[in-house]
Amino acid sequence: MAASKAAGWSAERNRAFRLGLSPALLVLAVVTLGPAVYLIVTSLTPLTPVNPATALDFSEPLQNYSSALTTDEFLHSVWVQVELSVVTVLTQLAAGLGLALLLDRPSRLLEAVRTSFLMPMVLPPIVVAIIWKVIYTPDISPLHHLLAWFGLPIHSLITNANTAIWAIAVADTWEWFPFTMLMVLAALQMVPKEPQEAARIDGASAVQLFWHVRLPYIRSTLVVAALFRLIDSIKAFPLIYVLTDGGPGGATEVTNYYAFVQTFNFSYWGYGSAIAVLIVLGVLLLSLAVNRMGGEAIDD
Amino acid sequence: MAESARPVRRRQVLASAAAGAALLALPGKAPAQGGAKKLAGVTLNISCWSAPYPKYLADYIPEFEQATGAKVNYETPSFPIYNQRMDIELSTKSDAHDVINVTFIYSGRWIGAGWVTPLTDFLSDPKHTPADWGGDDFLPGATAAFKDSQGRLCAIPWIADVQMAGASRYDLIEKAGMKLPDTFDEMAAMLKAVNRQDNTSAFLVENHYGWSFIPYLQGFGGDVFRKPPNDLMPLLDTPEAVAAADFFCNMLREYGPDGVLSYTYDQVVETLRQARANYSTNNETFLVQMGLPESKSAKTCALSLMPAGPKGRFPNVAAHGWGIPVGSRNKEAAWEFITWAMSKELGLRMFRDHGFSSVTRRSIIDMPEFRQRMMINGTDVAKLYIDTLNLGAKGYTVYRTVPPYPPVDREIDIAIQSIVSQQKTAKQAMAQAQQNALMQLKRAGVKL
Amino acid sequence: MTKRLPVVEIVAVALLILVLSPALWLLLMSFRHNADIMATDIRFNPTLENYVALWTGGFPASFLNSLLASGSSTLVSLLLGVPAAYVMARHRFRGHQQIALWILVTRMAPPIAFTIPFFLAYTWLGLLDTVMGLAVIYVTFNLALVIWTMRGFFAAVPRSLEEAAWIDGCGVWSAFLRITLPLAAPGLAATGILCFILSWNDFFFALILTRTRAMTAPVAIVNFMQYAGWEWGKIAAAGTLVMLPVLLFTFFVRSYLVRGLMAGGVKE
Repeated sequence: MAASKAAGWSAERNRAFRLGLSPALLVLAVVTLGPAVYLIVTSLTPLTPVNPATALDFSEPLQNYSSALTTDEFLHSVWVQVELSVVTVLTQLAAGLGLALLLDRPSRLLEAVRTSFLMPMVLPPIVVAIIWKVIYTPDISPLHHLLAWFGLPIHSLITNANTAIWAIAVADTWEWFPFTMLMVLAALQMVPKEPQEAARIDGASAVQLFWHVRLPYIRSTLVVAALFRLIDSIKAFPLIYVLTDGGPGGATEVTNYYAFVQTFNFSYWGYGSAIAVLIVLGVLLLSLAVNRMGGEAIDD
Repeated sequence: MAESARPVRRRQVLASAAAGAALLALPGKAPAQGGAKKLAGVTLNISCWSAPYPKYLADYIPEFEQATGAKVNYETPSFPIYNQRMDIELSTKSDAHDVINVTFIYSGRWIGAGWVTPLTDFLSDPKHTPADWGGDDFLPGATAAFKDSQGRLCAIPWIADVQMAGASRYDLIEKAGMKLPDTFDEMAAMLKAVNRQDNTSAFLVENHYGWSFIPYLQGFGGDVFRKPPNDLMPLLDTPEAVAAADFFCNMLREYGPDGVLSYTYDQVVETLRQARANYSTNNETFLVQMGLPESKSAKTCALSLMPAGPKGRFPNVAAHGWGIPVGSRNKEAAWEFITWAMSKELGLRMFRDHGFSSVTRRSIIDMPEFRQRMMINGTDVAKLYIDTLNLGAKGYTVYRTVPPYPPVDREIDIAIQSIVSQQKTAKQAMAQAQQNALMQLKRAGVKL
Repeated sequence: MTKRLPVVEIVAVALLILVLSPALWLLLMSFRHNADIMATDIRFNPTLENYVALWTGGFPASFLNSLLASGSSTLVSLLLGVPAAYVMARHRFRGHQQIALWILVTRMAPPIAFTIPFFLAYTWLGLLDTVMGLAVIYVTFNLALVIWTMRGFFAAVPRSLEEAAWIDGCGVWSAFLRITLPLAAPGLAATGILCFILSWNDFFFALILTRTRAMTAPVAIVNFMQYAGWEWGKIAAAGTLVMLPVLLFTFFVRSYLVRGLMAGGVKE
């Protein structure tokens, strides 16, 4: 009797759970799987709205993919993306780590400072882009004026092919370092006290303390933070849109931006879809890596 | 800055509002019997790229609203933004806008795809177009681009954009013992002589190189396509094209201001008016702004024809026009706006109030007052305008209206940027542009 | 004990000012006359003319659109996502790992992968340039965020409390409403605010999927940017206005941002 009652409750409970989960899953399915399928199908056609007949032209299904993989502009955009991602992730890690270490002290003032440092990360990305547009436009830039006043005038950074990508990297790091800072701060809180105390009693210097005691504990967090930022860096858009439009000469044209131009400036929907699929595949691989590592580092 | 001109314009508008109201009491424009306004309750969404003409028009729109009772939402984004958003919008046959600008380089594409309403019915209907409006007064060279495959006019041109040359500090050129150059060689010599004098960069053009570079390309004997509109084989990597790119980019790099690659139209105009840059091969509408009263270069500026290359003189001539998207739900009201905006009266007022001179009505160009007013420091700019229009009529600007031109336009932009920023040599960049253009044409379904 | 000079504090505050100075500069710019915009002296005559000018354009309407799109999508995401998160936290069903991964991937995919199909679908459905259309696409990434973060918060509530209620004859969902949800309420508030901020900040989707009627505030700012004359005063004022709600909300949820991040919900 008790067993069947338990079984009855179990079934009822499972039903209740399914009821709670289904609406969300249904909505997610409609808004993600539907578009995903549509994206893939479109990527197999040379769809462009000027010629409606192209919507169902499956004569050369892989033309967009082969075209992308043999187009210098696309391949170059992947290289630019790699450059930008590596640089921004490394500098964000360094900045976030450095600030976290500096601010990891119990102090009301420092708590307020930690909170204030969140600001760049929560600003609307378009506002961040405008802020940096002001800084990089020589006529109105406090930076340029300041440097000129000190007798070190510099040329426009975003129209110089050598410096444009680094200018964007600086703006991007400014925007996202709070993310790594937060994650490192949280991880530092969880470093057990005893080893730190022991090391201090043994007379370890601050550097040794960090390197030998705290770093091993926060290393996995650093990796997770790096991977999250890596995946997010592929979405970079407003900064490039406002600051350089992919220029000069494609020096800052990352793959995402290249896809945007091809799709929305020239209406190559089919081709743009193929590039989007390639980007998603890349992100998927990285996401798998995050999930693997995240599962270890984060205890739910 | 343009800002300082605003109070002046507002006063002018208020003064001319009275005159305007009188002018608007034309047959067909007067409020209907009983005092009800013709377009009461109608909201018109109007968009155009931010050229000088649409900006001037903004000052007169309140009169239109007053007289017709319509509400006008008017926006003028920058050239690339406007084109990109309008292209997407038209491709969905959306009703978001009622009056739009048909951009020259998109005219073949938009009209060819049937996204813009043919205007022949409106033009021939006396209820919609007053008899004396003068639909055939518009320059044939300007209306040609806006005819669809059946010869129906799909946009009314508000500008015949011609390229010329101008200098903001002609006094410096004279002091160097030179005149405004007539050939590219003279140009190179002149730029070298006056560079950096009096804190002025010698050369400046805006960063739409798919427009500003082409006269040099064609002047050196190169071209964009082999024989548009039918033979669209791109010719971007020919020796002539490479030589032209090399020359043009050298001028920009050596004699252009810092950050020259980021200069848009507005910034170029402002810089010329402030006389911080000297010589520019540019649109007439931009160059004449140097001669406006608020400009610092008003007394020292001079204009001339676009210089010629070894193979001839090829100043670009483009036209932009007002059109009605097929999806608009207020087509009649939209046409009402277009007939008002493109009326001879308003055209004359704009010329008198703002000096807008790239007009498209023959009757205004032929007026003695036009020629008189268009004398800038002794140069007969009206003559330059007419001469350039005649040159353009030879047909070498057909490449612009070919539907797949916009992506090729961008490839040219990118190539010039690469060369000026020294990422690639002229040969490499143009070879790259050629390869990319071929791919773009293939994607657009063009058979070569 | 000698009073140690608070070196760390001084350095921290100095760094803070340095790092935030670009944003502060924008704030300053919004109070400058347009004629002075190229000047860089710190002392100037402040004016509200830029903010006033914003009021008369289409900017207030775009602000309202942002509010509506962000608010409605947050509500829907919470309504759908909270129960789902609870189930994910309590119910180890077959395939829950895959579903968790799928949810993660939807958060990570670049916007362009969504905008192309959504743009084409919306054209067909007539949802282009509508607030509802925007809200629907915001639900896609907010729903995933809600499920991911609330799962963590619910997991922190002891099962024993619910099980006690179940033994007493309480249904699953009434126990949830009466016991679990109130305990996770702070996390709920924080998640809701995070959703709102993310939708508010969106630029790409609004850029592509709106024209005139449903344009949101971030896109409206960009429209100013391209208006001839480079009206930096107005742009700075608009930028300041758009960042204010975000800053306010962040202040209220600052302590939960860390938890939210650690639970794997990543701000895009």
